[in-house]
Amino acid sequence: MEQLLTANVATNLYWLGRHLERVETTLMKVIEAYDKIIDVDKDAGVLLYKNFNIDLKYGNSLDFLKEAILGEHSANLLNIMINARENAIICRSQIDTDAFGEIIELHALFDNASKKSAPVDYRLVDTALSLIREIWGSLSKSEHRKNSDNFSRLGKLVEEVDFHLRFENDKDIIAMVVHDINEIFDVLSKKDESKGAQSQKQNYETHDVMETINKKISEIIVG
Amino acid sequence: MLEKLTGPHEKFWEIFSKQDIKKIDEFQTYMDKFAVNFNLYKDGNFIERSLPFDVVPRIISKKEFAKIDKGLQQRVTALNMFLEDLYTDAKIIKEGIVPEEFVHQAKGYLEEFKGFSPSKKIRTHINGIDLVKDTVNDEWVILEDNLRVPSGSSYPLSIRDTYRKIYPDFFESMKIEPIKQYPKYISDAMNYVNCGGINVVLTPGRFNSAYYEHSYLAEKIGAELVRANELTVVDKKLYFKNYNGKLIRVGAVYRRLDDDFLDPAFFNPESLIGVPGIVEAYLSGNVAIMNGIGNGVADDKGIYYFVPKMIQYYLGEDPILQNAPTYLPYFKEDMEYVFNNMEKLVIKDVAEAGGYGVLFGHTMTALQIEDLKLIIKADPRRFIAQELIEFYDEKCYINGELVDRKADFRAYVVMGEDVKVWNCGLTRYALEAGNYLVNSSQGGGFKDTWITE
Repeated sequence: MEQLLTANVATNLYWLGRHLERVETTLMKVIEAYDKIIDVDKDAGVLLYKNFNIDLKYGNSLDFLKEAILGEHSANLLNIMINARENAIICRSQIDTDAFGEIIELHALFDNASKKSAPVDYRLVDTALSLIREIWGSLSKSEHRKNSDNFSRLGKLVEEVDFHLRFENDKDIIAMVVHDINEIFDVLSKKDESKGAQSQKQNYETHDVMETINKKISEIIVG
Repeated sequence: MLEKLTGPHEKFWEIFSKQDIKKIDEFQTYMDKFAVNFNLYKDGNFIERSLPFDVVPRIISKKEFAKIDKGLQQRVTALNMFLEDLYTDAKIIKEGIVPEEFVHQAKGYLEEFKGFSPSKKIRTHINGIDLVKDTVNDEWVILEDNLRVPSGSSYPLSIRDTYRKIYPDFFESMKIEPIKQYPKYISDAMNYVNCGGINVVLTPGRFNSAYYEHSYLAEKIGAELVRANELTVVDKKLYFKNYNGKLIRVGAVYRRLDDDFLDPAFFNPESLIGVPGIVEAYLSGNVAIMNGIGNGVADDKGIYYFVPKMIQYYLGEDPILQNAPTYLPYFKEDMEYVFNNMEKLVIKDVAEAGGYGVLFGHTMTALQIEDLKLIIKADPRRFIAQELIEFYDEKCYINGELVDRKADFRAYVVMGEDVKVWNCGLTRYALEAGNYLVNSSQGGGFKDTWITE
């Protein structure tokens, strides 16, 4: 029997994957830029945030960390974690208990930093990255992959594509991730007996890749 | 006043004295990490908060609990028979055991459901019965029957595993009854009344105060957690809307919302959290709804007065567990007694729940008492009065100190093929000394309850 999942839960699982991936990749880019700002390139953070269409201002390397992670802009990681926490609460019966607890913990980490009860430094970034890796591990530890796992994984991969489009724009890497996305689409479409057909594999052109993916998702999750 | 210490209590304190007290903080860490919340609305704002937890459990001996178990099985069986009778033949009214007008004036009585009998004639599937232990007679007394949507079972269930991990010594030495079977009681009851299809837990949604519990129980009983818009009724049958658009038949609904909100096509048309048509599916026998629609009449505080009579009427037995002495101003002689003794009574508005609408005579001024008398006179059916039960305090470890607090006990009784009383429950305590209101919605905390040899 196919897995039962409401459209709301499927959507929240998908966004949980996207939000967590967004936090992870942002932190990795932030830590790279932080290292450069110390003694190589003071403007490394400015350049990085241009990719997010954000004009980031900071004094020194530590100030960059604070502004990047908790500054008043659309890539504020606390806000992304607030969303991830909401996604997890809504779909908690479909995700691993440890993963759920780790997501709450990760949100609390940024929340405490925003309330100044914890410093914003490299340790915060390291702890956050370790937690995210634990979350991915916990999310994927079930013996048999369920549809619910596929939705969070789909979100993770779509966010990966989005990031590559913003940064490297390496067509080969994007093609590889799109290949993985297609595989998930296939699995989800196969289980969708009401449609009775497999999805068509698609080689997306870079310029319309996100649009095509989103269209496909809206065909799979019938709201 | 504290209960006399028994062997298990002494054993507990002996082990407690050897534990690392600092580890108590780990309970809060666990509750924060897993969002074990009972949320509140204050001044229109949604506040996420964990339910205050106290590490000192309520300990009940197996022998003592056996009487509670037997008494609650008896009580819930009679209450179910009462509801079934009331909505079908109404013999209990015809024979004058319960006054007709008393039933018809109960807010929870739903005349529209007269003549309908639900799946397997079960209406009281999941029940929370509130008890206290009276210091005068040293006996457990029933304070309230909650036969609609009782909440709270998930908290002791969640904390028990953590307790075992943090302080295993107690569990190694004290022969404490395991409690994990509770979700199975519910899933068995759901399967028993299921009318063909999957089981679902219907939640009002993420911002309900007990959302944590809805989500936790859905997972543990293996049912899908759904909001109203994720269900639909087609040809008087209820369906679950899968993410891919496919409709899956639903056979049993554990609803976590009151009758008024359940179906905007039948009850309150403004309800955004109900499923249009679900009542029609229920009345057509195509889906079981637990607890039954119209149960509110049986947990009405006024009807509570008649439960001992129901037990005698339906089962031909004397009640094993007693009610708190209760007076109905509806009866002339009771009104006279109530008016002459207001200072020592607790007056309850029958339409309220969760600790609201409860007035303690000894805390009221003469003017307030006179005002209340006028209100009671105008609408005597709306109130009951009870003797103030002096119930035992429980030891609580609050802010690093051992203190005494009033505590009640909510027992959970599940009715499926058999009636099962869970050998745990929710012990709720008041945060302030001398406060008799222990309800979670009044800011009270909870303890684990250990049934021991």
